[in-house]
Amino acid sequence: MNMKLMKSVILVAALVLFVGSTAAAQEMTKDEWQKQMTEFTAKRNQLKSNLTAVQAEVDKLKKEDAALAAALKKCNDDLMALVGADAAAERAFAAKLDEIDAKINELSRLSNQDLWARKGEIDDVQKMLDEVKKNKLSALSKYYERIKEQQNRLDALKKTLETAQLAMTYTVGTWAKDRDCLWNIAKKPKIYDNAFLWPKIWQGNKDKIKNPDVIKKGQVLSIPPKADLTKEEKAAVRSYWNKKKAAEQPAAAPAKQ
Amino acid sequence: MKKSLAGYFVAGALLATLATGCTSRPNAEELKQLEDLKAEITSLERQIAAKQSEAAALQKAIADKQAQLAQCEKEKALVQERLKGM
Repeated sequence: MNMKLMKSVILVAALVLFVGSTAAAQEMTKDEWQKQMTEFTAKRNQLKSNLTAVQAEVDKLKKEDAALAAALKKCNDDLMALVGADAAAERAFAAKLDEIDAKINELSRLSNQDLWARKGEIDDVQKMLDEVKKNKLSALSKYYERIKEQQNRLDALKKTLETAQLAMTYTVGTWAKDRDCLWNIAKKPKIYDNAFLWPKIWQGNKDKIKNPDVIKKGQVLSIPPKADLTKEEKAAVRSYWNKKKAAEQPAAAPAKQ
Repeated sequence: MKKSLAGYFVAGALLATLATGCTSRPNAEELKQLEDLKAEITSLERQIAAKQSEAAALQKAIADKQAQLAQCEKEKALVQERLKGM
């Protein structure tokens, strides 16, 4: 029994010694330490050198960046000098373009008839556009392209107006069958539904109607969009009535002699 | 048979212990020196990475500005041309 215990003790002790000696063998030796020190020192020196090089590169890039920023500022200043404007003038100019945009947008939303009624505004916008085109700032690409686009949109509106005008026509029938005269045509629900607007048809067809009392069968009259009579149309009506009165007076005039 | 096996085992263990016990090892100060060196390397690697990022950002900014400058010069020529026509 004692012998067996002795054997076991010896075995355990041998095992402990073996494990201990293996662990010690894994620890760094002086030579290994020296080798690592040499290796890491060389690496550290290389990294220091790399850091210096990268820092120099960064410094060089910073200088280049600053020089480019200065060149860019000079170029932009030159550009503004070319158009003879400062920031405030440019803001005012951009605001004017915004105003034109808003006007065109508003007109674009109108029906053809409403557009006709406000056709004067198209001319107003064209005047505004002509005005901004005279400004040197309009030569800057950002405005140049925008103004070009605004002009295109305005031209499209003018075209719409023309097309709308051409699209509305009425072919004159006979007095006997259709009772067609300017008064009756204007009264038709499909035309103006308002007989008093007859001068509009007359003035819209001045080339075809010399005397508003005379329209011929088969004549194709363009019908201007419905709107109040303009100053010119009212003046034409006054002149028409004056001429009519004058034509009736000569019969009474000789009595004065 | 069992006795001789245990004997060999014990002898081997004793030999290994003797062999490792005689090797010289770095002291605590030397080990700290090595650790400090490793830490310095790690720090340098981080600094280099940061500088390289900074350089890359600067290169991008420079490329952007070069493009803007080229555009501006082109715009100047265009504006001069348009102004002539006004």
